[in-house]
Amino acid sequence: MYLLEINNLHARVGDGREILKGIDLKVAPGEVHAIMGPNGSGKSTLAGVLAGKPGYEVTEGQVLYEGRDLLALAPDERARAGIFLAFQYPVEIPGVNNMYFLRAALNAVRRERGENELDAGQFLKAVRAKLKLLDIGEDLLQRAVNVGFSGGEKKRNEIFQMAMLEPRLAILDETDSGLDIDALRVVSNGVNRLRDPQRAIVLITHYQRLLDYVVPDRVHVLGDGKIVQSGDKSLAVELEKRGYGHLGSAA
Amino acid sequence: MSALTAETAPYLEAFRARGGSGEPAWLAERRRVAAERFEELGFPTRRQEQWRFTNLAPLTRSAFPPRGVEGRMRIELAGEPPRGVWLGSVQEALRERPELLRAALDETEIAGAQAFALLNAALFDDGYILALEPGIELEHPVEIVHRGEGGGSFHPRSAILLGERSSATVVETFQGSGTSWTNWVSTARLAANAHLRHVMMQESGPEAIQIGLARAALASGAHYENFVLTLGARLSRIDIHAAIEGEGARCGLGGATLLRDSQEATIATLVDHAAPGGETREIFKSVVDGRAHGVFLGKIAVRPGADKTDANQVSRNLLLSPRAAVDTKPELEILADDVKCSHGATVGDLDANALFYLRARGIDEGAARALLIEAFAADAIDGALPAGPIRDRLRDRLSAWLEQRGS
Repeated sequence: MYLLEINNLHARVGDGREILKGIDLKVAPGEVHAIMGPNGSGKSTLAGVLAGKPGYEVTEGQVLYEGRDLLALAPDERARAGIFLAFQYPVEIPGVNNMYFLRAALNAVRRERGENELDAGQFLKAVRAKLKLLDIGEDLLQRAVNVGFSGGEKKRNEIFQMAMLEPRLAILDETDSGLDIDALRVVSNGVNRLRDPQRAIVLITHYQRLLDYVVPDRVHVLGDGKIVQSGDKSLAVELEKRGYGHLGSAA
Repeated sequence: MSALTAETAPYLEAFRARGGSGEPAWLAERRRVAAERFEELGFPTRRQEQWRFTNLAPLTRSAFPPRGVEGRMRIELAGEPPRGVWLGSVQEALRERPELLRAALDETEIAGAQAFALLNAALFDDGYILALEPGIELEHPVEIVHRGEGGGSFHPRSAILLGERSSATVVETFQGSGTSWTNWVSTARLAANAHLRHVMMQESGPEAIQIGLARAALASGAHYENFVLTLGARLSRIDIHAAIEGEGARCGLGGATLLRDSQEATIATLVDHAAPGGETREIFKSVVDGRAHGVFLGKIAVRPGADKTDANQVSRNLLLSPRAAVDTKPELEILADDVKCSHGATVGDLDANALFYLRARGIDEGAARALLIEAFAADAIDGALPAGPIRDRLRDRLSAWLEQRGS
């Protein structure tokens, strides 16, 4: 059975413009899929619709997650069901302590799975193990969520959250954008360690660069709200050479 | 009988019926003048700019016969007051140290014409007085608890008199149940380089009415900090007037107001910079739910000659329901040169992006909203008070308010 099954998905934004025009995509557990495409092709809209971001209206089609109707779930229900969106622009939340926030999130997810909530001591232990993986200092946790974080710190914090929450389906929305090569390596290592036969990862990216580090099983190219081409990792290399231009005209 | 007379009549009758035997002549005379002036002014009305937004209906609809405040106020200080500190009730001060009480009674308010303060000046019969001799630093906070029970009105009057370089923290809590009206006046005088932190927690019952005026006069180098947490009462209004009288004095005003149901609350501040080099910092936040109405009026005046004044005021307001309302009115009046004055006011809903971010991590909508509301209000508390037991207490009150909201 597929973990995620998207059939003929159409969606529009608040002003009525149709952005997704019939997406079909099937992702099995254990797979890593990359979704590439030029700016404005609908990549971030797809991520937003899957995570339940307000402001989009699905007009046609369906999305099944573990066989159930994903679009009927509220954003927090989706997260507790095991979906994780790494934000392209992680949100700064003044006054909310990063550690407090993450513990609330982790315990919400654990409750849903029927696991015990972690007390402060157990939580700290779990946190320390994962912090090392992503080269994040403990001081970052004492600060307000994403406030005053550099671009790289924000992206690492996203992957750190993902490592803590252990989702079944992770959607990474342009996690590579704005990262220097060292940060990209750290983030990629973090993602690779989360590859698991039970978990699927969808990488949304504009550039092929990330895919040198996190090698995908499948690559899809999005053009004007539809998947216009799919292939294996060699498709990404080809795109890097030839650009999106020829695909745009073909679509 | 005009409406105006109808409102003041029960209070003036109570004043005339008042014995006042054994009081010194100066005090009796002062009460008489205040009552007379109150009779002339009557209750404030919405035609007056300073009272335009405050709905006084719960106060004017019925009469609140004055009652003695004796036994309704508790004064606490860990250990005995150290040498150089006088702390006691107004009645005790009248017996032991009448000159302290006299110093505390601010004659300018008679000309300054704040009607409720005049009523208080006519009727007060208790309150507390804290006086520190120069150089005394009070280690523990003074705790004052006011409890207005049942009906009627209470008119406590208090004073904090700080000698040069002395410092004190006063935590004043207003509690009580029933439909009483508490009409308090508090005067602080800070001599050169004195420091006062005055924290007020207004957590009266849902039918209570709270009207208060805190006045502070700052000599050179003095530092006055006032924080008001407003949670209770059906109708509340606190006016804070700080006068920068000496060079280089600093004034920090802050507040968090949390309202629900049909609560009505006003915070009105006036900082009067009459001397050069003064500094004012104001951060007021309100969270308004249900059909409640919050008002913030903030005036900063910089008089001629008060050069190099540095003043900043922020009013941020969060509306949690479509029927909640907020009026916020910053006002700068600058008549000096080379000053830095700024203000900012916002009224809005929770940040939708932040809400989605929290929910996208599995936190349900109610908990996510509570987290953001708490962060919003806590910012005012954490910005005004250093880490420690007083801050923790205010944060606990805030959390308790949010828990009630969730239930």
